[in-house]
Parts: sequence; C-alpha cells; structure tokens
Amino acid sequence: MAYSVNISVEAPIENQIQEITYDGQEIYQSPLTVSESLAKYAQKIDFSKTADIVEPKKEPGDIPDDKSDTDSKDSIQSSLWPWDTVRNKLHSALQEVCVLADVLAIAKEKRYMVLDPVPQEPVETKSIVQIYARKKALAGAASVLLTGVERLKTSQNEVVRNKTDFHFELLRLRQNWRLKKASNSIIGDLSYRTAGSKFTQTGMFEVTKAEDDDKTNSPPNSPSASGSTPKNSSALRVTVPSELQGVAYIEVLCQKDQEDLCSANINLLGSGPPTSNPDVHWQQKLEAAQNVLFCKELFNQLAKEAVQLQAPIPHMVVGNQIMATVLPGIQLIIGLCHSTTGDKKPPVPAPSKSDHDHVLEHSLHQLLREVHHKNTHHPFPHPSTGPLGPSKKRYLAGPMAADRYELLEMTKSETLLEQIIKQAQHFFMRMRTEYVLDTIAKEVKDPLITSHWNTLNSPTQSCVKINISTHGYDAVFRTPLVIHVGEKSLKCICRVGKVMHMSYEPQELRDLIFCHINQHQILAVQALAKTMGWQFLANSSHLGLGSVEPLGNASSCMLASPNGDRLIAVRCEPQAGVQVSVAHSPRSDFFPSRLVTERKWEHLGGQFRDVRLEKMEGRNFLHKMELLMASLTSNS
Amino acid sequence: MGVTILQQFPIENRTGPATIELLTKRISALGAVQQGHFLVDCETYSSVANLGPPRTVHVLHNSEQPASCFSILDTGTKTIPLAADGLFDLLMLKMNYFYQAKKQTKAESKGPRFEIGDFCVKLGTVTVSQNFKGILVEVEYRPCVVPGMCWELIREFMQGVLGSSVQSNPPPYLATRMQENYTPIDTIHQYLEHFTMFRKSPGMRT
Repeated sequence: MAYSVNISVEAPIENQIQEITYDGQEIYQSPLTVSESLAKYAQKIDFSKTADIVEPKKEPGDIPDDKSDTDSKDSIQSSLWPWDTVRNKLHSALQEVCVLADVLAIAKEKRYMVLDPVPQEPVETKSIVQIYARKKALAGAASVLLTGVERLKTSQNEVVRNKTDFHFELLRLRQNWRLKKASNSIIGDLSYRTAGSKFTQTGMFEVTKAEDDDKTNSPPNSPSASGSTPKNSSALRVTVPSELQGVAYIEVLCQKDQEDLCSANINLLGSGPPTSNPDVHWQQKLEAAQNVLFCKELFNQLAKEAVQLQAPIPHMVVGNQIMATVLPGIQLIIGLCHSTTGDKKPPVPAPSKSDHDHVLEHSLHQLLREVHHKNTHHPFPHPSTGPLGPSKKRYLAGPMAADRYELLEMTKSETLLEQIIKQAQHFFMRMRTEYVLDTIAKEVKDPLITSHWNTLNSPTQSCVKINISTHGYDAVFRTPLVIHVGEKSLKCICRVGKVMHMSYEPQELRDLIFCHINQHQILAVQALAKTMGWQFLANSSHLGLGSVEPLGNASSCMLASPNGDRLIAVRCEPQAGVQVSVAHSPRSDFFPSRLVTERKWEHLGGQFRDVRLEKMEGRNFLHKMELLMASLTSNS
Repeated sequence: MGVTILQQFPIENRTGPATIELLTKRISALGAVQQGHFLVDCETYSSVANLGPPRTVHVLHNSEQPASCFSILDTGTKTIPLAADGLFDLLMLKMNYFYQAKKQTKAESKGPRFEIGDFCVKLGTVTVSQNFKGILVEVEYRPCVVPGMCWELIREFMQGVLGSSVQSNPPPYLATRMQENYTPIDTIHQYLEHFTMFRKSPGMRT
C-alpha cells in the first residue's frame, strides 16, 4: 500500500519490420502521422450499430432506396478518401433524422396522416398438432417412469433371489444337470452316459426340498461357521446313493523294488482338497459324486482289461489295486482310493505330492475321455441304414478291396491299460536315457557330449540328438548321433547312417556311446592330421592286436609327417583310453647288431616309443596331438 | 496285395481230388505251408427284356477280400468293374425285377491255400452248379504290384511247380496291363474269364 510504484507503459520504440533485405538489413515501417492514426481509429467506429437502433422507427418503404444509394456510392468512393465512409454514414444519419422530423411534423397535423396501432394477426393453432405435442410429452414422461419401475423391479427380484427359493434353485440345477420327474419325486442323473460312457452303474440322485428343521439344526452344529451357513443353506437338497458318496481318487504309483519312483493322483476336482462335509452346496456335492463315478469307471475299465490281457507277466488285480510290470523290476500300481466316511482322516500322504506326474495324470484322463468320445462320435459320413461302430477305414474296406491282412489289422485296438503301460514304459526309457547321457557327459570330459532333446514328442516316442565334439575342434570333426526312445527299445542312428537297435537295458546305450567316443577320437585325429598336412597311412577301426577289450575293439591309425621322417601311431581302446607312440625314420641312433649289420637299413623306421600324454601340455587329446604333430614337423 | 496269375492245370486222366493231391504234394515238397482254404464264387445275372439291350452282371466274391463284393457289368460293348461293400449282394436281391439270376450258372473255385515265402498259391477245384469242371491254380507274388516287373519270376516259379502247361507269355488279360498297378479287381477279371470258358465247355476240360 505504502509503496506506490509508477508504471509507465509505452509503445516499443521499434517500428514494425516491413522487410528484411538479403544482407540482413531491416527496413522498418515509418510510424503513422497524427492524421493517419486518427483516420485509422475513425474507421474502427461501427456506425451500423447505432443505425440499427434508429431503423425500426423509420417507414419501411423509403429507406431501402436511400441506403442502396449511399451504399453504392460508398463502394465507389471509399478508396478515394479515408474519411469517406465516415462522411457517408453521417450523411445518411442526417437524412434519416430529417425524414423522421418531416414525418413527425405531418403526423402532428393529423390532416394528412394518422398513426393507428396495427392489430397483430393471432397465430393459428391447430388442435391436432396440440394433441400430438401433448402426446409426445406424455410419452416421454411415461418412459422415464417405466424405466424407473423396471429398475425397482430388478432390485426387488434380486432381493428375492438372495432368499432361498426352491423353484429358483431347481431351475439352476436344471441348467447344469439332467433331471426328470418320476411320480412325486425329482430324479437326476449324473452319469457320463450322455457323453458316451457305457459304465453300468447308474448315477441317479434324488432332489428334495430341504426342511426347515435342517436349517435350525445346522447353526448349533457348527457355531464357528455360523456366519457362512446362511449363504450355504439352500432350499434344495440332493441325495446321492451311498456308493457315490465321499471322496475318490485314483493313485498311480511306479515302484522299483518297493521304492516309489513317481506317483500321480487322478482327481476330477483338481488340486483342491476334497471334502465330504454333508452341508456343502448341492453343486459341489454332485460334482464330488460325479468324480467318484468317473474314478470308479476308470478303475473298472482298467481292472477288466488287466484281467483280460495276456501279458508275459500277468497283471494282478487285488482288491482296489492293479499291478502291472512295466519293465523288469519296475511295477506300475494303479489303485482306487474311495473314502466314504473319513472327512476327519488325513486324505493324501503329503510326500507323494512332490513326485506328482501331471503328464501321467493327464494321459489317464484323456484316455477315458477318448473312449467316451469314440462311443458317441461315429465317423461321417455313414449311411443311415449302415451299422454304427466300425471305423471309417472299415467302411472303406469293402470298396477299396482290403485283403484279409488289412482287415485283421483293423480289428486290433489298444486297451486303456496297454496304453498307459506303454506310456509308463516310455517314461522310464526316457528317464534312463537321460540318466545315462548325463552321467557319461559328467564322466567323460575330453570329447564333449551334448544332447538335445526334441521338444516335440508323443507320449510314447521321443528323440534325442547327441553331438560328440572336442572343445576347440568342433569345426574339425564331430560325431552326431540320433537316438529314438521308444516304449521298450532304443533306436540309434549312427554317424554313417547305420541303425542300431537296443533293448531297455541302460548298459547297452552306455556301451554304444563309449564306442562312439572311441571312434570319435580316432577319426578326429585323422581329420586333424589332414589339416596339419600329415599323411594318413593306415587305419583300422577293429584292431585284432593287443589285449581283448571287454567291449568293442580297439582302433588305431598311423600318421606320417609331411616329409615322411616321423611316424605317429595312435591306438584307441574303449576302456584303456588312448595310446600314442612316435617313431623316427631314419632312426636317429644306429647300432649294428648281428641281424642288422649295415647302416643302409637305418631307413627302415625306428622303434616306436610311447608318448606319455598325461605329461603333455594341452587342453585335451586333440590339442595335445596338434602340439605333438607341430613339434615333430618343425624338428625336421 | 501283389500280382496274381491264374493258370489252368490240365487234369489229363486223373480225377479232380487226385490232381489237387498231386499238386499239394509238389508244392509241399518245396516247403509251402497250408494256410486255410479259399473260395472264389461267381453268380451271373442278366437284364430283363424290357430294359433295353441285354446286359449281364457278374457278381463275384473272393475270400482274400472278405469285406468286398465285386461285380462286372458287361454291356456287350464294354465291361464296367465295381468293388463294393458286402451289402451289394442285398442290393442285387432288390434289383430282382431288372436283373435275374441265370439258372445253373453259379461257378466257384475252392481249395487249399498255401504260402511259400513271398508267394501265395491256391489250388482251386472249379465247379459250375456243382459239376466238376477243372483245376485253376492261382499264384500270387505279394511284394510287387506291377505285373511287368515280376512276370518273369512268377513264370519261373509256376513252371517249376506246374510244369510245361505254363505258357511263356502272360495271360491275355494282363498282357495289355503289364506296366500298370495291379489291383484286386484284375484277379476278379481273370477268374471271370476262366469261369466263362468253363461254363461254355460241355463237360470236363482237359
């Protein structure tokens, strides 16, 4: 407040820039003179505003002429003089005022002219239009009201729905389950018959109305859960037969000498803990019963097949357990666990969960579903008069003139148990192969063994690609192998395309890989010699000399230096490893003996002397050989 | 499925069973193993008069293709072969008004079936409406489906078993189809040719 500061506002000194020349000089506009700026401001005055106010008072008849005259004059002369528009506007204003004065003077005399109020014409209103307008307005109001009513109704319904209503529950039950009315009771069916099951046990359940006394009973039963009971209690009550009550699951165990290798629990309800609480909602109750039915059907089917199948080692069915021998010493145990009363009992032993094999679980599911699916889905097209059941191939057998062998092949089909045993066998074969490859890769450091498992495989077949190579020399030589892992056998496709079939014994694969490691070393040395310029004299992959090998044969090769004065002999044995010997020619030392008396025999190459490879420098065998060859070449 | 050659074996002055026995002995001596029996039958239907120009339908069954029913329609100018489901027989019954079975013409060839290596040999006794007519020997070489490639082999084998009655040229039906894939209907064609010849012959052909 105390400090008042003078603020002076003035126009910038710079004038507007009119043009900037190419050399950067700015040409300013010269400032307006006083008269020019006055003319500029005068032009900004809007005379038409005031003219509008004056206008209504004039007679409509005579003005347009004047105006058009002045306007036309304006347009012609406006460019001549800056004050022209101002003058014109003032001139027309003066004219109008003069005319008005004249008119008023004449009117005042009342002799020639009388001013009368003009009666305004009343607006004609049509009754129909009015009705329509009213109708429309009313309809709008009605729709607003109706939507309000609708909203109220739905909210009211929801209140009703939250209350337990038997019929409403029944409707919801009907949407998910098959129901029918038999005399006075409502019977439902939870079997898989509509999905193609041919299991004889019926899955009937009865639907009744829950009595009120049940509701009153339940709160004291479980005071802690009293908060949740109003939610759970429904007006509907389902009664499932006693054999379908409770919890069931199928247990798949693979045992080797009483030791669990893996297990899987098959359960329709997923991993959630199954409960047999009698107060659960009907939906859960029915689902549990259906699960029991499913497990029973699966087990029944498997047991039937186990008895019928003619296996070399017969399958055993004892009580609720099926035992089948997968591979010698390894057993597959499929058991049905069904507990009707034990909701207090601890359900599943916890440690077995860790070995849960989801693949096996999934397979069993899939297999039974497939059987169901096949029962209902017949291949198209089939003639309406033709029999149902035969496969599409069988339909075509007649017209395609299939012979008896083909027809015999068509009748063969695999049972569920056979399929699951095959899958288990393959599982073990894969595990064993993995184990063998991993242990060899760990044991053998010199040639590196890498294995790639194909990601795409079937439940009974997979494939692994093995590469044997030496670190640093993988461009020189490598040995690829492909192993197909089947159900009870292995098929190995070797480097040259030779196919080897092996049984389930892991030792066979181990021996094969060791033979290939051995072969890899000797072939790699030869490949290396080629790049080093050494000559390759002899090669034998199955050497008859030396001690007898426990597996395979020793292989050897003989190499000569570029000018032929040094020899290297390599002998590779699967068990003993690699032996390398070196010889000089001509021999460096000559001592005449009784047999070799003259010096000319010295060109016959000297005695081979062993190289102690373990004392040599070098990362691996090939590296050592490279160094050895290099040193022997440079010496000459 | 392979290439099949059908060959008539002269019975000379033996009886039918004696001839079969002779051939059985010969082929068993080569190491063949009997694998059941076989049967090829043929029934002939002719069209009724008001169906236009006369046509003949031969319906044949071969136990080697148990699910199939073969038929050959002979219109006089061309033959139309058809391989169908077993239900075709029932269809023929329904067509009784148009095609009527000829009386006394049911021909069949049946007898033991031997397997020897890749060959399958069938010794058939031919009967036309229960009357013995002759012996048909069927030799099938299973690994091959092109007659031109295995005719020489089959001929050599047949000459070894059947002797000089085997011609050095392929049967006329196959001679025009030597480089095509052999199908079961070709076997049926050969049987039909032989059956037609047997039917025309008055008694036993020698």
